[in-house]
Amino acid sequence: MLGLLGQQGSDFAHKVDYAHDVVTIISVICTVAIVGVMIYFAVIYRQRDGKDHETPRIEGNNTLEVIWTVFPTLVCIWVAWLGYDSFVDLRTPPANAMEINVTGRKWAWDFTYKNGKKTTGELVVPVDEPVKLVMTAKDVLHSFFVPVMRTKADVIPGRYTYEWFRPIQTGDFQVFCTEYCGNEHSRMMARLKVLPKAEFERWLADDSQARKLASLKPSDRGKELYVSKQCVTCHSLDGSQRVGPSWLKIFGKEGKLADGSTYKVDENYIRESILQPQAKVVQGYPAMGMPSYQGQLSDDDITGLIEFMKTLDGTQKVEVAPALPKKSAASTAGMTPAERGKALVNDSGNLCATCHSIDGSAMVGPSFKGLYGRKEKISDGSEVTVDDAYIKESIYKPAAKIVQGYGPVMPAMYEGKLSDQDVADIIEYIKTLK
Amino acid sequence: MAAHVSAAVNEELNYLNWQKGIWSWLTSTDHKRICFLYLFTILLFFLAGGVAALLVRTELAFAGPTIITDPHTYNVLFTMHGVFMIFLFVVPGIPATLGNFLIPLMIGAKDVAFPRLNLFSYYVYVIGALIGAIAMFNPVDTGWTFYAPYSTTTGTSVSLMVLAAFVLGFSSILTGLNFIVTIHQLRAPGMTWMRLPVFIWASYATAVIQTVATPVVGMTLLLIIAERAFGAGIFDPSKGGDPVLMEHLFWFYSHPVVYIMVLPAFGVVGEIIPVFSRKPLFGYKMVVVSSMAIAAVGFIVWAHHMFVAGISDFSAKFFSIVTFLVAIPTAIKVFNWVSTMYKGSISFKTPMLYAMAFVFLFMVAGTTGIYLAMLGVDVYYHDTYFVVAHFHYTIQGGAVIGLIAALHFWFPKMTGKMYNETVSKFAFAALFIGFNLTFIPQFILGMDGMPRRYYDYPAQYQTLHTISTIGAYLNGFGYTFALVNLLWTALFGKVKAPRNPYNSHSLEWQTQSPPIHENFAEIPVVTEDPYSYGTPTGRGH
Repeated sequence: MLGLLGQQGSDFAHKVDYAHDVVTIISVICTVAIVGVMIYFAVIYRQRDGKDHETPRIEGNNTLEVIWTVFPTLVCIWVAWLGYDSFVDLRTPPANAMEINVTGRKWAWDFTYKNGKKTTGELVVPVDEPVKLVMTAKDVLHSFFVPVMRTKADVIPGRYTYEWFRPIQTGDFQVFCTEYCGNEHSRMMARLKVLPKAEFERWLADDSQARKLASLKPSDRGKELYVSKQCVTCHSLDGSQRVGPSWLKIFGKEGKLADGSTYKVDENYIRESILQPQAKVVQGYPAMGMPSYQGQLSDDDITGLIEFMKTLDGTQKVEVAPALPKKSAASTAGMTPAERGKALVNDSGNLCATCHSIDGSAMVGPSFKGLYGRKEKISDGSEVTVDDAYIKESIYKPAAKIVQGYGPVMPAMYEGKLSDQDVADIIEYIKTLK
Repeated sequence: MAAHVSAAVNEELNYLNWQKGIWSWLTSTDHKRICFLYLFTILLFFLAGGVAALLVRTELAFAGPTIITDPHTYNVLFTMHGVFMIFLFVVPGIPATLGNFLIPLMIGAKDVAFPRLNLFSYYVYVIGALIGAIAMFNPVDTGWTFYAPYSTTTGTSVSLMVLAAFVLGFSSILTGLNFIVTIHQLRAPGMTWMRLPVFIWASYATAVIQTVATPVVGMTLLLIIAERAFGAGIFDPSKGGDPVLMEHLFWFYSHPVVYIMVLPAFGVVGEIIPVFSRKPLFGYKMVVVSSMAIAAVGFIVWAHHMFVAGISDFSAKFFSIVTFLVAIPTAIKVFNWVSTMYKGSISFKTPMLYAMAFVFLFMVAGTTGIYLAMLGVDVYYHDTYFVVAHFHYTIQGGAVIGLIAALHFWFPKMTGKMYNETVSKFAFAALFIGFNLTFIPQFILGMDGMPRRYYDYPAQYQTLHTISTIGAYLNGFGYTFALVNLLWTALFGKVKAPRNPYNSHSLEWQTQSPPIHENFAEIPVVTEDPYSYGTPTGRGH
């Protein structure tokens, strides 16, 4: 009605706004009436010619006292009910709401979808579908506020809180952190992107971003991660001071640590600083400033970031591009089994290519090149032939038979994720890699 | 006249000049001199907190870095603003200054019940203030709320600042205790409870809150120190603690503290309006009862600061409903103040202008409080600029305007001089316009979703921030002007104040201006209530 809170993005927003309208109208009427009466009295009962006139000794009036006790009480009951009623809606997510995990950390928001897809700084949801955010924090209190949805809840380390909404229109909306959390509190924002349902499904299944990362040269990969993992929040590229040191000319830099000892920025120093940020803190920077990225960045990612830093030697100005362009998921229809297998191996959601090369080079796991039919010595000393059964077992139960020289690192996550048909397709693909 | 007071005193000798030298001030147990000790000390922090506020507003005038180049400095400044204004200025504010000056005078006593304890509590305050000043060497960046686990992990000197607040709490407790005993024990003959001026009732309610609630925050602040020094694990979730517990304990004090700040200001307005309307205070008993009701209900509403903080939905609903109970006595007060003016003979001296401004500002503060008590609406407004604007209308528009009104109103009694009306009214206008210009845009910012405690903001908010900053400068100018005017006339003013320049019926005006050391030459006998204005046959204008 009055539209004071701006655009309504969720189905319960109108209810909050209605309560807001009612209390606004009551407040304005009461304030104008009371201040109006006060000014009216002041004018007509003003002292004339600097002399007091006779005044009546009125000490009170019980009827009036009753009226102005009962009237505000009734008004309060009404508006309390409106507030209560809208709150119940805000706190009651439908049972079929899609859950998304939200993690607040200094100073970025991470989102994890049920299929394992992760984003940082961008929450993508379908329109007209209820979404429930299950939230926790890594370090200190944060608060997840989506003004257009009219909802907010504190995000607390060591426990889960939630909020939900059903978007009623598509578009890009602002998310703020509204619980003070330190230096970059005012930069701890996120975008809420509401997509049409079909487009959302495509987005959710789409892994082009991860695939693109894998195809980039290391320094470009680092550059992409610099944006998408929100390093940009605390580390500038132009020498300007943020929470952490600028990355301009950082590689090879020397200086003093908080404990007085000296440091030199080399590959291992960077790696340690990413995985254990508290180990060696440069003088003048907050001790607890940076969260650990252990488990969030692969070795290739870290290498990429190191290579990216090496390019920042000041010889040319480096600017970061915003988010990666999206590609729609490739259709698998009409592919041969080997082609489908290839697609599955390269699918970043499956992560095969992260550890297995196709060119014979050893990565975390054995290369797929020439794998099929080979005889391998496994860790208990016995020998196996790599055949359909062995590959299938290795995919579903990676720890069962590990080839000598490799660690028990492959996650047992594919049972249920890859169907028998998928595995057969992958085997067909491996067979082609002679 | 409300009392029979002997006129046989030496008009030349008063509490200001009966002993001389700085040492006689610093060691005085005279409640009127202690009032001035407090007044100058708290105004020092009002100045420091005000400068911090203007730096914050200057930074926010435009999007992007303006005068402060890093967010840490900004965070330190808004923390300093909050801590100084709350713990060192507004909480001692009216009670320690005018409460000290007026309570014995208004009830017809020679001094407070424990004069030496009174001086001691001033020095406890000074020690707390000094610890706070030492903490400024590595200034705190937590905000005045000290929320864990940020406060238990940040590298700034939170422990010292929290210790300062802890010590200041004791000063507050001792003052409260002293006032309670004074009001119970030292009333002059004939000064029955129902003849007490409403300022005394408000001070009494305030003193009760001070003594009951302050120990809880003291305990909480010690727990923060234990957490930081020994890793006690009470609030830090990584050690099994609960940060929400810290919020409960903090607000259990810090909500009632709002009433410590604002109830005395209600009392001030209740004194000023009858005098300048020449009418009895309308519904005296209801005004008294509502003060006590606000003090009582104030203890069970603390979690309305925490509707989105992870408390259960049931708790949120409970605390919302009881919060509305505060609105009712507050509304009753406003209705009674305005009705007092009905058929009066109203003169617009500076204190009356402040009192009328107070009614308007408090209507805004009160009605915007209703928004925040409404659950669904508070979820939106929590931690936005709407809240910032709301509590500045309450604390500045209420408590601080109340203090400035009181300083003008009782200025003749305190100093024996008359302030300059023209200059005071000019300062009032600057202050009033500046204040509204600062905070009305902040309500709109809140409606637009602008979160508080932001060093920087999206460009869409800039216009309102710029207006707010201009208002803040005008507001600061108004305060400076008003206070310098008072200080100047106190020191160099030529116009001597008579005993009772406003023809008030209250007891403090019946003794000389400024009063003698022990207030009254002989203890007065009270025969009438303090608001016996008008005549039973008077018809009004």
